[in-house]
Amino acid sequence: MFVLPPPPRYPTQAAYNAAVAAGQATPMIETNNILTTPEEQFLVGEGTYVLKEDLHLATPPPHPSEAPVINPNPLATTPQPATAGTKVSLLSFAIRPPPPAFFRLTSATTLSESIAEHPNESRESHDAKLSSDGEGRSASFSDGGPSTSVTAVSAPAFGEGNASLAPEKTKDANKKRKPKNNMTKSNSSFISRVIINESFTKKLADRPGDGLFAFANINRAFQWLDLSSPNKADYLTKILFTKAHCLCHAVNRVTKGPGHLDLIMGFSTGEIIWWEPISQRYTRLNKNGIINKTPVSEIQWIPGSENHFMAAHMDGSLVVYDKEKEDASFNPDEEEATVDGEGEASVRGVDHLSRIQILKSVHSTNQKTNPVAIWKLSNQRVNAFAFSPDNRHIAVVSEDGTMRIIDYLKEQLLNIFNAYFGGLSCVCWSPDGKYVVTGGQDDLISIWCPSERSLIARCRGHQSWVTSVAFDPWRCDERNYRFGSVGEDGRLCLWDFNVGMLHRPKATSVRHRGSISSRNTNLQRAETQGTTASRMRSNSGYSGLEGAEDNIQGISISVPVEPRSMTATIPPVLTKKADKDPLCWLEFTDESIMTSSKTGHLRTWQRPSDNPAPAK
Amino acid sequence: MTSLLSRFKTSAAGDAKAAGKDAQKKKEEPPPELTPLEKLLQNAGPFGNTCYCNSMVQALYYTTVFREHVLNYPPLSPSETPEGFKPKVNVVVRAPQAENGTANQANGKKPLTTAEALARRKQINSGQVIPGTQQGIKPEDKPDTPEYKKKQAMLKGPILELAQENPGAYGMDECTFTGLRDIFMTLVEANSRTGVLSPQRFLEIFKRDNEMFRNSMHQDAHEFYGLVLNDVISNVERNAKRLYEQEAKRANDGLLQSLESAFSHAVMPTSNGVNSPGTGWVHDIFEGVLTSETKCLTCETTSQRDETFLDLSIDLEEHSSVTSCLQKFSAEEMLCERNKFHCDHCGGLQEAEKRMKIKRLPKVLALHLKRFKYTEDYSRLQKLFHRVVYPYELRMFNTTEDAEDPDRLYELYAVIVHIGGNAYHGHYVSVIKTEDRGWLLFDDEMVEPVDKHYVRNFFGDKPGMACAYVLLYQETTFEKVRAQQEAEGLEEVRIASEKADVATEESGQAGLTNGLTRQVSQPNAAPSDDRETMAKLAHASTAPGMVLSSPAPPLPAPFNQVEGSAALARSQTTKAEPKSKEEKKEAKAAEKARKAAEKEELKAKEKQKKERDVQLREAQKTEAENLKKALEESKKAVEDESSKSKESAGPSMGILNRTNRGSKSMSRKSLNFLSKDKSKRGSGEAPTETAQNGEAVNPEKAPHTPKIKERFSFSLGRKKSHNVLS
Repeated sequence: MFVLPPPPRYPTQAAYNAAVAAGQATPMIETNNILTTPEEQFLVGEGTYVLKEDLHLATPPPHPSEAPVINPNPLATTPQPATAGTKVSLLSFAIRPPPPAFFRLTSATTLSESIAEHPNESRESHDAKLSSDGEGRSASFSDGGPSTSVTAVSAPAFGEGNASLAPEKTKDANKKRKPKNNMTKSNSSFISRVIINESFTKKLADRPGDGLFAFANINRAFQWLDLSSPNKADYLTKILFTKAHCLCHAVNRVTKGPGHLDLIMGFSTGEIIWWEPISQRYTRLNKNGIINKTPVSEIQWIPGSENHFMAAHMDGSLVVYDKEKEDASFNPDEEEATVDGEGEASVRGVDHLSRIQILKSVHSTNQKTNPVAIWKLSNQRVNAFAFSPDNRHIAVVSEDGTMRIIDYLKEQLLNIFNAYFGGLSCVCWSPDGKYVVTGGQDDLISIWCPSERSLIARCRGHQSWVTSVAFDPWRCDERNYRFGSVGEDGRLCLWDFNVGMLHRPKATSVRHRGSISSRNTNLQRAETQGTTASRMRSNSGYSGLEGAEDNIQGISISVPVEPRSMTATIPPVLTKKADKDPLCWLEFTDESIMTSSKTGHLRTWQRPSDNPAPAK
Repeated sequence: MTSLLSRFKTSAAGDAKAAGKDAQKKKEEPPPELTPLEKLLQNAGPFGNTCYCNSMVQALYYTTVFREHVLNYPPLSPSETPEGFKPKVNVVVRAPQAENGTANQANGKKPLTTAEALARRKQINSGQVIPGTQQGIKPEDKPDTPEYKKKQAMLKGPILELAQENPGAYGMDECTFTGLRDIFMTLVEANSRTGVLSPQRFLEIFKRDNEMFRNSMHQDAHEFYGLVLNDVISNVERNAKRLYEQEAKRANDGLLQSLESAFSHAVMPTSNGVNSPGTGWVHDIFEGVLTSETKCLTCETTSQRDETFLDLSIDLEEHSSVTSCLQKFSAEEMLCERNKFHCDHCGGLQEAEKRMKIKRLPKVLALHLKRFKYTEDYSRLQKLFHRVVYPYELRMFNTTEDAEDPDRLYELYAVIVHIGGNAYHGHYVSVIKTEDRGWLLFDDEMVEPVDKHYVRNFFGDKPGMACAYVLLYQETTFEKVRAQQEAEGLEEVRIASEKADVATEESGQAGLTNGLTRQVSQPNAAPSDDRETMAKLAHASTAPGMVLSSPAPPLPAPFNQVEGSAALARSQTTKAEPKSKEEKKEAKAAEKARKAAEKEELKAKEKQKKERDVQLREAQKTEAENLKKALEESKKAVEDESSKSKESAGPSMGILNRTNRGSKSMSRKSLNFLSKDKSKRGSGEAPTETAQNGEAVNPEKAPHTPKIKERFSFSLGRKKSHNVLS
């Protein structure tokens, strides 16, 4: 086997100069992460958020064997590899208290299944029962469900009832399976090199139990950081990949524990790596794109599952993998024969606007190998997806400007919502599961209510495309919601919305003119639903939606675009130029707002200290 | 020569710098002997400077509504065509074949063998310079460079030149409109799939009417766009007027008077931008209406004024979107101090609030991104490299309350790209979405299919100084967009599955081939060098027939019959195919295959798109009976038919007759916004324009060779990676 030579670890200045003089490719010098504390802050109603720190992750130089092809021709049609700005997965071993606002919400109202357990919560309680591992994922999940304080009916596990999905029994039920290969000793040409902090074990032992870990991708590097460490600029582990860029990653919250972490990464080559950071072992899935060759734009563990995760590939398909299964080349035609009549005769002629094409069902009996399931949503790239808090639905946004609500347990497409214009790039659910928020290339953030099949409002405030949205569960209650967004304009916006306070603009006189309202019947329908009865019974979660599902066989499940004159518009409560570069990720923690930029600046904005987060 | 060689060696190692050094080397090289054809090509440079025209005319041609109207105007009446058949455009077709032969011989080079070509291409692909061959080879001889492709296009021909016209063929005087119509007509009628059409005749006419373009300076594509449309408008109006007059004459006696008065009523409003039957189609397509609402802060009276526009010029901000720049355009603005507003109500200059909104949306929305900004410090136009993102679809937020269809959906169909560091140099290309071939890159005589994502390379932040400069959006519907997206995806899926089969057979070697079919990193500067050395010769030899604007060797515009363009590019790609397959077999080592597979995955998607055209065409030829492809087949067939039927439509010629472009139509141009700019920045843009124009016109009244030469070498020193002119 041909192995790429390991690059010099600490190239010297002399070596660099010599190489330059000799006209050879220069050995690149590893740069270190830089931690700075610029003085910035912004004021919102609840107080002042202060920039606590800016951690600039070092962009690694290109791999020596892959000398950058600098193409002076700007018109070169050479395809550029997919890449993504820095995204971060946060993780804490400890059971952090869930947002209090959320607790109030769940106990005060006896919501039906649309309010399920908060993901963290259920997972935490689940953590305690890690020993029940061997029972199989479905079993372990269902005993995780009822243990929560909420009266919610727990969602069944993904693929429940399919015996062939049950994992093999391991000899030692308490022992977690680790990936096959040792990363540090790997001679794979996929991984260029792995650098582990010299005091790795000491650092792990000394850190506070509730400290935050961060996993972040930047260019071809992937870093594991300890945000609770005083030297947070020093990574615990840094992996450099040869050529592939990690575009997305996720940590399994069911299996996490001080001795074990399951992390998955999706790559620009379509490949997926399952990595166990503590033992530094890994497995490559979808190797050489045997299942799907297109880049992975989003990857997430299926809530409550130990083994299964879902990856969005850029050809518009969602693929469910099992971290422990071998890959097998996938031929949709063979598979379709075994699927219950759903199978399409050919790839052509599928109406992606009415249903998802199930290339392989989770209920398929052939579950010896990956993929577990493949669904083709459309032919356009899927940009992101999010699991609903009740673990029954996913909201999927694509480059074609659609947001699909899918019942992933039943593998059924429920609704398609359309952006005002342009593609949609990010999506998230409100903590109670009532609303979905999307952001996209129309510079807008749209608030949708899937159960009413309606658009609640559009939010105008960004000056470029929106790249990430997230709710702040610490500032949400029964009526009021707070969420944040970041965009290509480098701005952080915060938004408050209160369902009762929304007013549609009065200018209804124009509504029967124009291209949008030409689809009048649909619009009317959505309109009446949106404004009258269903707004009142928004508690009923999806019951309305399911009912609608039955009687819309004839009608498109696609919700037409609402004209501007019919839609409420929300201004931001705050817009802050949070970085000079485009931002690409945002998350709320109990003590801060975190943002990251395309160039690797990970910024932490401390919540107002005069009004400490109740969680603390 | 030794110094050259050593220099060359170093450059081979530091591959990034190679390009620049290559250019330098070229300069020192004694000019090799030239064949007529090479002269022709090189002449394109100094005379050239037509890329602004080429990119815009292509964009206008692919504005379907506009094309249809141009082709169908003027409606031919029997009196206009006495011969009883439709007139034809006089086209001179130059056969390039013979010259091709001599070219090769004169160069004393044998055509590359397959293996050689492959090896070379590989090197180029990996960004290295080929040491041995480099010495004698000009950029246009290197495969996979734009220069090479352009040369091939010229070699392949046919090269069409619009000849001196038959007078009065359309019943119209020769004018910008007839010139444009001739070009469109020729494109539609041409029955070969590839070829090059010279815009020279059209430009002559255009320059005759537009003094400021009468030099070989770098021209502004946006300005050109405005002037062409205004010319077309005034030409069409003039013609309408003439027709009315004719009618009036025919209708003798007493009717004459009443008719004349009637017609004057009909025509006069036209010049104010209101439609009159038969002539308003340009307005219908491109014209929108802006309302500026001005609120006097003293008496609170709001006054409104409507203005028409053919395009919107928008100010740019770093890290913004076109959508947001458009909203800024409608932002409220204070009129105070030197820019006070004259209020009719209070009778005097008062402070006021002003905002511009769109009252009527045009069918085709042209957005001019103001990338060139006058800076006092340098007293020149600086280019802004702000990153401004533009979506494939667009709706306008800044419409008035009573606007019709305020949610009108637009789709992006053409991007005019400016490449270069400032306003005085550079190159224009266009990326255009065609009805049948998807996105194509038009770079003068080169046409190349590109994938949809390529369109996003010109936000302004990528290296190479290529930025979107004019964006053309056209009206569409939600359903159309959805249908299109599905179709696009279907193609990708089909090719993906075919690809997958290939990949399993050949264990992923496709990755290599993939690179081969692609255009490679080549400095554009080199050819301009050659042009420089050749400038004198060129002017001496190819002057015949040039009336107005210096020697005018044909500067070819890529000419596309709808089929043609892609086929041109395809002819190159297909050439690469079989070779690379041979090579694949050679390199079957498992390790390599694996690496290639990784590479391939990356590129697979793009490749699919690129190859789609190839495969489609091949499929069409060889597997017509293949049921799987029946769908695409039938679609294509319809297109073929329609384009053929268009060919039978008749062209004609105009007479030489100078039409003055009225100042009225000029005011309809985007210069409207000057007033706004001025009020914003005090000294504003107006001085800029004049400065630019003045500079442009004065030194170049009579283009001399030395002048041009000087400019060339200057710009060369500045930027090596770009085609300085053309």
